[in-house]
Amino acid sequence: MKRQPPNRLADLQALMAKAVMRPLTRDEGMQRTWTDGSPTAEVAAQFIKPNDRLDSFDRLQIYNQQYWWRLLSNFAVDFRGLRAILGERRFDKLAVAYLDHCGSMSWSLRNLGSRLEEFLCENPQLTAPHSSLALDMVRVEWARVLAFDGEGKPALSPKEVPEIPTELLRFGLQPYLILLKLAHPVDKLLGKLKRQSEIETGTASNAVSGAHSRRRRRLTARASRALIYLAVHRLRFSVYYKRLDPEAYQLLCALRDGTPLENACALAFANSTESPDVMANKTRSWFNDWMRFGWLTRPA
Amino acid sequence: MPSSRFNGFTDYGIGIGLRVPHYHHILEKKPVVDWFEIISENYMVDAGRPLHVLDQILEQYRVVQHGVSLYFGNASRPNRDHLCKLKNLVKRTRTPWLSDHLCWGSVDGRYTHDLLPMPYTWEAVEKTAANIREARDFLEVPLAVENVSSYAEFHMSEMCEWEFLCEVVERADCGILLDVNNIYVSSKNHGFDPQTYIDAVPADRVAQIHLAGHSKFEKYILDTHDHPVLDPVWRLYARAIARVGRTAILLEWDDRIPSFDDVHREALKASRFLRYEEAAA
Repeated sequence: MKRQPPNRLADLQALMAKAVMRPLTRDEGMQRTWTDGSPTAEVAAQFIKPNDRLDSFDRLQIYNQQYWWRLLSNFAVDFRGLRAILGERRFDKLAVAYLDHCGSMSWSLRNLGSRLEEFLCENPQLTAPHSSLALDMVRVEWARVLAFDGEGKPALSPKEVPEIPTELLRFGLQPYLILLKLAHPVDKLLGKLKRQSEIETGTASNAVSGAHSRRRRRLTARASRALIYLAVHRLRFSVYYKRLDPEAYQLLCALRDGTPLENACALAFANSTESPDVMANKTRSWFNDWMRFGWLTRPA
Repeated sequence: MPSSRFNGFTDYGIGIGLRVPHYHHILEKKPVVDWFEIISENYMVDAGRPLHVLDQILEQYRVVQHGVSLYFGNASRPNRDHLCKLKNLVKRTRTPWLSDHLCWGSVDGRYTHDLLPMPYTWEAVEKTAANIREARDFLEVPLAVENVSSYAEFHMSEMCEWEFLCEVVERADCGILLDVNNIYVSSKNHGFDPQTYIDAVPADRVAQIHLAGHSKFEKYILDTHDHPVLDPVWRLYARAIARVGRTAILLEWDDRIPSFDDVHREALKASRFLRYEEAAA
């Protein structure tokens, strides 16, 4: 049956978007065969005019290539760590699979990786045998995006902490503060990657000439003996990582859930064998840090 | 027009696009620049460094917003969440006018992040004009639409590009951001006379002009914004301001960005043409 060319705006846009978003071939061209098995050139010719230099296929291909090159380059910038774990070829394959499946559902390219963690959980074959490390890396790299420009609320100063009993005292946390529980030392790996990158681009010092020609090694790390509790946060407009004691992590999570301070402390130290004095000193020290970082806000 | 309801009755002179590699230079050296154009989407965030820098720029400079993803030509209506965020930014920048492109770019909520060409049909005229009116009424700021570079044309088109542009802006009663480089690029890709395009544009609706560089490939030209403005584009610009008169001029440089001074110097070349035009008037 002969395919009808689109004659309404919505139909044309649906058809062209479908063509533009189809993955490129291995040699970065447009796929020669359409989804129904017919030649893509025939589909293109039905709605795109040729000119004296380019046929309809070639003209459509320009948009198909631009779409993929734009999305892939942005995705690679946001997930440099994942790329360093998987290597270029596997990362590119993963990126195409993810973007083909999830696309970009936001007007901002900033949100391109918003569904990557979920996608990788559903598709562990794309990262095997490094799936656990890759997932940890993606959590931290997405947290970086959120922490960089996420909402900030007025930070609470010590003077503002009301003089009310701890069993009623509640705190809020900055929305840009992301709390993560990780199996791998991804924060250290990202530090290593940053240093590597500075050496390769010559931004660290002038003593590394020739680094460009060195083959970039993949990042790898074994799982830590104990879980790593990490805060990804923003301070003076830059993103930082801060490792937390397990109890500090539990306490922050409880506060974020709206638990009053006294109950939150009880939850955090539920399995602790330390003396009440030590616990109190630790808590005081954490709160000093958190106030200094501006993490604490009025409760929602 | 130097000053009209389409650019908030301003006379802004020659500006350049605000880009990240120049942040430090601008904040440190505070160079004299008539105005900066920002890509709205880069600052439609909740907080953090982008807004911190923008606020410092706003203390010193005049800023105009230019968007890349309102997609007036979409078959669907404008995204209300996008408009709300954009309106918050409008309140922050107090932009006297706001521009985006005469194109489409998303279907069923899935974004191409590209400026895709319109089919020049009457249905598209009506739909696009309705979307522009809806956005302008919501944003409460004058809107100007920019002609895009294109690499494809559609069989279903019922008019040429400049006829389409004229019909849309008349029905939407909005301004035009006339991108002279885009006209040149499309003229080479589609084989029309760019001067015919310039001559057909309603001069009284031109709120602003864009200039940029492009890249030539064997069989087509790509709008890359990674070069100085080429001579044929300067000639086209001269013709445009002969019709339009002195209006807000903006140089775009988005890739392989040179130093701030180099970009600014390139932009200021536009003033030579303005002087000729004013002398001739």
